[in-house]
Amino acid sequence: MLEQLLIFTRGGLILWTCKELGNALKGSPIDTLIRSCLLEERSGAASYNYDAPGAAYTLKWTFHNELGLVFVAVYQRILHLLYVDELLAMAKREFSEIYDPKRMNYNDFDETFRQLRKEAEARAEELKKSKHVGKPVIDGKKQGQVKKGGFEGGNKKKSEANDGGDGDTGKSYKLETGHSNGNHVNIEGSRAVVANSKENASSNVGAFDVSKLQKLRSKGGKKTDTVVNKGSNVHPKKKITKKNRVWDDSPQESKLDFTDPLEENGNENIEVVGTDHGESMMDKEEIISSDSEDESEEVGKESKPDTKKKGWFSSMFQSIAGKANLEKSDLEPALKALKDRLMTKNVAEEIAEKLCESVAASLEGKKQASFTRISSKVQAAMEEALVRILTPRRSIDILRDVHAAKEQRKPYVVVFVGVNGVGKSTNLAKVAYWLLQHEISVMMAACDTFRSGAVEQLRTHARRLQIPIFEKGYEKDPAIVAKEAIQEAARNGSDVVLVDTAGRMQDNEPLMRALSKLVYLNNPDLVLFVGEALVGNDAVDQLSKFNQKLADLSTSPNPRLIDGILLTKFDTIDDKVGAALSMVYISGAPVMFVGCGQSYTDLKKLNVKSIVKTLLK
Amino acid sequence: MGWDRVRLFKRTKSSTIVLTGLTGSGKTVLFYQLRDGSSHQGTVTSMEPNEGTFILHSESSKKGKIKPVHLVDVPGHSRLRPKLDEFLPQAAGIVFVVDALEFLPNLRGVSEYLYDILTKASVVKRKVPVLICCNKADKVTAHSKEFIRKQLEKEIDKLRVSRSGISEADVANEFTLGIPGEAFSFSHCSNKVTIAESSGLTGEISQVEQFIREHVRP
Repeated sequence: MLEQLLIFTRGGLILWTCKELGNALKGSPIDTLIRSCLLEERSGAASYNYDAPGAAYTLKWTFHNELGLVFVAVYQRILHLLYVDELLAMAKREFSEIYDPKRMNYNDFDETFRQLRKEAEARAEELKKSKHVGKPVIDGKKQGQVKKGGFEGGNKKKSEANDGGDGDTGKSYKLETGHSNGNHVNIEGSRAVVANSKENASSNVGAFDVSKLQKLRSKGGKKTDTVVNKGSNVHPKKKITKKNRVWDDSPQESKLDFTDPLEENGNENIEVVGTDHGESMMDKEEIISSDSEDESEEVGKESKPDTKKKGWFSSMFQSIAGKANLEKSDLEPALKALKDRLMTKNVAEEIAEKLCESVAASLEGKKQASFTRISSKVQAAMEEALVRILTPRRSIDILRDVHAAKEQRKPYVVVFVGVNGVGKSTNLAKVAYWLLQHEISVMMAACDTFRSGAVEQLRTHARRLQIPIFEKGYEKDPAIVAKEAIQEAARNGSDVVLVDTAGRMQDNEPLMRALSKLVYLNNPDLVLFVGEALVGNDAVDQLSKFNQKLADLSTSPNPRLIDGILLTKFDTIDDKVGAALSMVYISGAPVMFVGCGQSYTDLKKLNVKSIVKTLLK
Repeated sequence: MGWDRVRLFKRTKSSTIVLTGLTGSGKTVLFYQLRDGSSHQGTVTSMEPNEGTFILHSESSKKGKIKPVHLVDVPGHSRLRPKLDEFLPQAAGIVFVVDALEFLPNLRGVSEYLYDILTKASVVKRKVPVLICCNKADKVTAHSKEFIRKQLEKEIDKLRVSRSGISEADVANEFTLGIPGEAFSFSHCSNKVTIAESSGLTGEISQVEQFIREHVRP
């Protein structure tokens, strides 16, 4: 039995609810659906699950993009109602006939809806009898796990299904595309080389030759801080001594060797010199290079293969005539081209897929205005969607948070987590440097008690920055070390504690458990996931597994998840900035910092507009 | 026919009023109250702006030439914030809706958003008047407008300090607020900032209508 069916405008006004099904919905499922699913560009998903105390609902929806209406059906999750999709489609058809923008009251629709519902239920009953469709196996364990934090709806279930074994043949009615895609990506991710999603992969997938596309594309609009590899210049005269490689236009560093001479008994006689490297790039304005936005469109149109010419011509004709409604088949070629373009920019495949589905859902059925090409409309919709995803959901003003914690006389604790070799310790030092520039006292905590040299590395940074470091050497329990570090910080009045942890693979169960214990025990203010921009499809796996483990292995009712992302090695990727998009989409956490080099000042904020521009170029 | 040419030369003052505020503060309900005198069957989180040019419902019975108001309700959800920049340049007035019931839990979010708006170039340069509307005032536990004003002034004072630390990089905050050295007060703003109470659900929106009428002159 349906709990409720609502019709509302995209502007938020409810036009009609079914009065027969008078049950008040517990919690606020509609608002949560909008905020966590539709506005997060997951509207291509099949359904959405919502849990409130005392109720477990599943929501299904459909859009009427031309009129700007949304139709949502809510029902209890344990009832696998088969007729909901059909009912929504029929309701949409009937309602759009009586819809009038000026009308606010649609009481006559009650009768129509009652009939529709009867029809749909009857049809479902018939189908059931004729096909003997058994009710899909309800995985009780899955239901219980869905309640715990992390992602909304489909994504979470998908990753769980992957872990719980691939034998979910009793195909859950709700998980459709997400499920199989997830499995596929998993296998690919573990085998594939990082370079998979870069230039080469596209040639397998695209309908047109992407490499040709890249040659045609002009080089305008490169980020100003891209690594320019200047070879060593000519000095063949006397002795050819090795010249230091110059990476960019900054003046040469005179001293590269920072190891201090040791004294006899091993104690380092340190000459403490406060290092000042200038202003951190976080505080500099980003110079956005301007380039023509239309050039890519022309190029895209040119390189469409000949086989599509006929379809293109007829759609061109229709675009001039301007009468046709946009059908899914019309949107497909443009969307496919966009998806391939995104994948060449190192966006994970399933993310690109989901995004395209979401954009398709928002454009389907819209009337095509005359003199506009479908591709330009799709591009505009995608651009808007991308800006929406990358815009942070909550404030990323760390300084403000630090001040707030300072008022409460507590240290602000940041934990850096991530897989091996992404740059946690390096970027931790950069963040410390930036905080110091804003007159905030920082303390480091060396909770990487596993890797040889990790503690020394942090010690060196602490010395150069002249900040205290809390360490207990190696082979100690990181959770305990962190706890003691925070107590120490409270004692000596440090404002911020930066906790470095050991890198760990997301599949490593005991290590993930240890991490979860660290987070649970210390309840940090910010859990920062450090991910490198070079990663491809694996980003999706890393983040989802990290979040999932943090949720599962925590014993508290409200588990802490990843609050922010620190994107590293941004200077090494040219314009393949897609990893940022994949990570933000899959976790919902904003990108708080971007590491773009190996010195202390190479830390920036994410510039949403320039990333979107680069992605769609 | 010739009269159109005359109208072109006359300086048309904008008649756009922008309704903004955090998600869930009651903007869409207010929009429909102002337009139709009722909030119909309720609202959900807006995904798109609500726009309309009309004569306020309460004035529909008045005789004489009344200039229709172009009212825009911009969604408050943080993902949709960029939409606000589309409408601000043409705004003749801003109604910043605050949920007086759930005020303290959202204090930071409210003050940050208000701070962002008050420091935008299009607001400061054109001295756009702002009305802070404490909505849901019909509820028993709703805070008073004086309390809200004081809390907001305190929070914005703190924000000034932390934001000015990164003023160069924070391209969003183009101007600073208030007088350095003194505690911030809304009277320091170059544009007029007033505060009022309202209730979208019961229709107590007279103070909002007054503000609108003041700044969209017939």
